Order: sequence, then structure tokens, then C-alpha cells
Amino acid sequence: MDDGRIVVSGLTKRYRAVTAVDDLSFTVEPGRVTGFLGPNGAGKTTTLRMLLNLVMPTAGAATVGGRRYVDLREPDRVVGAVLEASSAHKGRTGRNHLRACCIVAGLPMARAEQVLDLVGLTPAADRKFKGYSLGMRQRLGIAAAMLGDPRVLILDEPANGLDPEGIRWMREFLRGLAAEGRTVLVSSHLLSEMQALADDVVIIAAGRLARQGAVADVLASMAGDTQIQVGTPDPQTLASALRAIGATVRPAGPDTLLVTGTSAAVVGDTALAAGVAVHHLSADQPDLEDVFLTLTTERAAIR
Amino acid sequence: MNRLIHAEIFRLRTTGMGWLFAAATVVSTVVMFAVNAVNANSLLKPFDQFVALETHGHGRRMSADFLTRLHNDWQLGHSAVTQATALYTSGQLIGVLLACLLGIVLITGEYHHQTATTTFLQTPRRTRVVAGKLGAAVVMAGLSWLVSTVLSVVAGAIFLHHEGYGSQLGHWGVLRAILLNLAAYAIWAVFGVGFGALIRSQLGATVAATVLYLVGASAAGTVFDLIHTYLINKDWVLTLQVIVPEVASTVMISPTKTFDQSPAEWVGAVVLIAYGIIAGLTGTWILRRRDIA
Repeated sequence: MDDGRIVVSGLTKRYRAVTAVDDLSFTVEPGRVTGFLGPNGAGKTTTLRMLLNLVMPTAGAATVGGRRYVDLREPDRVVGAVLEASSAHKGRTGRNHLRACCIVAGLPMARAEQVLDLVGLTPAADRKFKGYSLGMRQRLGIAAAMLGDPRVLILDEPANGLDPEGIRWMREFLRGLAAEGRTVLVSSHLLSEMQALADDVVIIAAGRLARQGAVADVLASMAGDTQIQVGTPDPQTLASALRAIGATVRPAGPDTLLVTGTSAAVVGDTALAAGVAVHHLSADQPDLEDVFLTLTTERAAIR
Repeated sequence: MNRLIHAEIFRLRTTGMGWLFAAATVVSTVVMFAVNAVNANSLLKPFDQFVALETHGHGRRMSADFLTRLHNDWQLGHSAVTQATALYTSGQLIGVLLACLLGIVLITGEYHHQTATTTFLQTPRRTRVVAGKLGAAVVMAGLSWLVSTVLSVVAGAIFLHHEGYGSQLGHWGVLRAILLNLAAYAIWAVFGVGFGALIRSQLGATVAATVLYLVGASAAGTVFDLIHTYLINKDWVLTLQVIVPEVASTVMISPTKTFDQSPAEWVGAVVLIAYGIIAGLTGTWILRRRDIA
């Protein structure tokens, strides 16, 4: 059970009339980067905070490696978390912030220097936290999370406030950690970033699970909705041939058809069999953003 | 647990809070010592000289009633032991308030500076966090007591010698007062941590504690006097003032009576310890259930 797998089961949080997280269950596997996606207010932060014993769940439980966070004897060595970019005292230097964390965790002070170096913050180590840019604060947060060399990394919107160079650095850093076999759970609303970074995604909306799985599988599960645009001088003949094989066809201009419910290859083959010339053929693959918008809009509509 | 106390003290040191606390301790001790020295100087004089000092030479024009009251004050205070105690515990009046404020800041600072997330991530068992803060508050209060006591005892012994009395340090009542003063510092620090957990706002908690401390004793004195005069004319009503924390800590360390109906020292100690325990437990209980968002 000591494998760094995160298991969330039936997690629920109610604030008086509002249900922020509603019977949410999912798992996060080691050795992979898992994107935790959802629109603002979907309950991502509340879920992560419940996982880390900062917010008390109304029902359900969350475990890391089979244990609740509160039951971890040395949490720093199991889970590193970066939840907000401003969780150090403004009047304290970055180095002293990390040293204080070292004292609590029973780690040697030298570990502070190592993690400063790891995130490239050594030159700013003796500056006070209030003088840090948002990007530097994020790096300090990651440095603190890495102090105990944890097997599991949990980050809430780490790309917020980072410049493109910072985002690339973060992506490579997190991919590197997953490649070492660690569990990496990253929440974000930046979908394009997740498509480039995540192996798996957990998509939530209105506090409930919308979809979970490998990025490729989640995209493939939506492939039925792939839209094929085909240009032909004889749209009527091609449309009847396609309808005959069960595809949905509608006109999209004088010599263009929009086809759904099949693949681009089938459209090409059907045209050949019907003896119709094809001038243009393109498939519109849904990306994570389309999937996300579809899923979350559906969910919001249910609510 | 030692790690948590060590970390709390390290945190105080690295934000300048520790130095501010030390400076406040020294300044308040010096000021209060000066006030107590002036008092002691007149109380230790024979009664006629005391009256002359207190009335700026107009003693003959004062009413008999006023002179009786002066005589009462003089009788209560005209003792080298009493004055030695007052001088050696000069830091107490402001010092215990500072210890209380430090306890408050230790806990409310987590919210004020938004460091609570980091703290509770590192130590998810919140009772341990509170225990670490209690430990740190008591250690810092102890250091504050030490600085204040060393300053007051050195200056006080010189003063008493100058007035023609010995240091009185051989007197058990004086030593006991100095030691009980340490207990007062520690209990007020514990009380502060609990109070801070109760009232999360740093400004709210510090202002409320300061006001309660500064006006609590006199307000209570007035209320209990009124009850005594108009409702229940029994001495125990006045004795009951000891339930006010500040009165309790004064009663606890005074080798002589603080007021005519004041109970024994141990009663003050029990009351103060009870407050410390109640505040600490309530604070911990609240903190364990609170969401950190």
C-alpha cells in the first residue's frame, strides 16, 4: 500500500446550502502526471485541501499510499504540496522560510540549500518573501514541497503567474519527477498546458467527476464527435452514399459537407465507391479543450 | 515536539518579532521599575513623611477620612518585604500582557500572514501545532521573565540598599513572589495562545486582550464594589474579584494582601491556571475542526 497512489473515494464537502464537492471518487497513479481539471469554482482546490487534511470533508475519505494525510508520520517525506503562492511570512527570507521547514521536518539545514538550488532560487535566497515575484514564490513553494524528497507531489494551479519560460521549466520539472516514479497531481484550468504535460486527466465540474482516464483515452472517447469536412463537386450523390452507411451529413456551403459519426478514411472510401471526386477532406479532432467544454457544460446544465 | 518549539522560536527570531518582544520587555521593565521605585521611596518613609510626599506638603489640610485611607495604604505598603517584592516583580504588569500578546501573535499570525497552510501541511496533527506554540510561548515568556527579573533584582537591590534596607532576597516570601511571577508569565502566555485560537483576527485578539487586561481589574473592582454596596453586603463578594484574570495574577504573587478581602495566593494561582487550561483546550478544540482555506 506504500506506493504513492492517491485514492479519493466519495469525498463530499458541504458549506451550509452549497455542495462544493459532491461524492467525488478517482485515483491517481504513481509514475504519471495527472491533470486535475475543472472550471473555476468546480471544487478543485477544496478537493486538494481535503486530501491534505486542511479542509474537513463532510463525507468520504482520501488516502495517499493507503493512509489518510493526517495519519502520515512524516508527511514531508511522503507528500509535497504547493497550494498557494503566498504561504510564507512576508518579512522572512526565502532561505529562512525553508530552514524553519527543515527544523519542523527534522531535516538538516543543508537540505534548504539543495532545494534552493533545485528550483534555481539560490541568488534570491536572502531576499525577503515580500520582494519575490509570483514566479519566485511558486519556485519557493516547490522548493519547500521538495524538502523531504516526497514520492507524491500535489500542486494547485502552479502555472499561475509564471512566464512562458517558467511554465516550460515547470513542465520539464514535473515530467522529470513522474519519470522517477513519483505521483504528480496538478490542478489547472489551463487546458492547453495540461495536454502538453499530463498523462492522465481527472475532469470535474460542479463538484462532481465528469471524466477520468489517460488523456488519449478521454480524447478517443469523444472521437465519435469528430467532424469531417469534405469538398466535392457532387455533394448530393456523396451525401446519399454517406447517409446509406449511417453517417450524419449536413451541407456547409455550396460544395462542402460536414460529416459526423464516422472517420475521414470511411468518407474517402465511400466517395471512391460512389465515383464522386473529392477536392478537399479534413478531420477536425477534438482537443482537450473541446472535451472539457463539452463535459463541463453538460454538467453545469444538469445542475 | 522539541522540533516544533524550536521552529516556532526560529520563526520569531527570523521576522524581528523576537527582538520587538525583547525590546518591549526591557523598556516596560525599566518604566515600571521607575514607578515602583518612586512608590517604594515614599511608602518606606515614616508615616508623616509619607503624608508630606503624597500630599505635596498639604497633609494638614486633608480630611480625616483621606488621612485614614492614606494610613491604610501606608500600613499595607510600609514593609521592606512588600516593596522588595513589588520592585523585583516590576516587569509583571506589562510583562504578562506582553507574554499574552506573544501567545496571541503566535497563533493569529498563521492567519494574518497566511502561513497556516504551510504549517498544517507540515504538521497535520493540529494538536501538536498548538502544543508547539504553547511550548514556544512558555519558553519566550520564561526568557522575558528572566530578563525582567535580572534587571529588576539588580536595580531593586541597589535601591533598597540605598534606602537603608537589605536586599530582602533571603526572605522566602520575596523569593516565592519572584518564582510565582515566572508562573504568571507562563500562564498568561498559555492564555494568549488559547485566546488567539478563539479570536482568529490578529488585530481583534490583541486589542481585545489588551483592553480586557488594562481595564478588566478596575472595571471588575467597580462592579464588585457596586454589588457589595447595593446587593449583597458580604465580604466574600469582594473576595470574588479574584475570578478576574488580572486580579488573580496579582493575588498570586503578592506576599501581602492585595486588597482587604483578597484570598490566599494559591487561590489566585488556581484561578489563573484554570483560565490557562480552559483557553488552551478551547483553542485547540476549535483549531482542530477549523477549515484552512
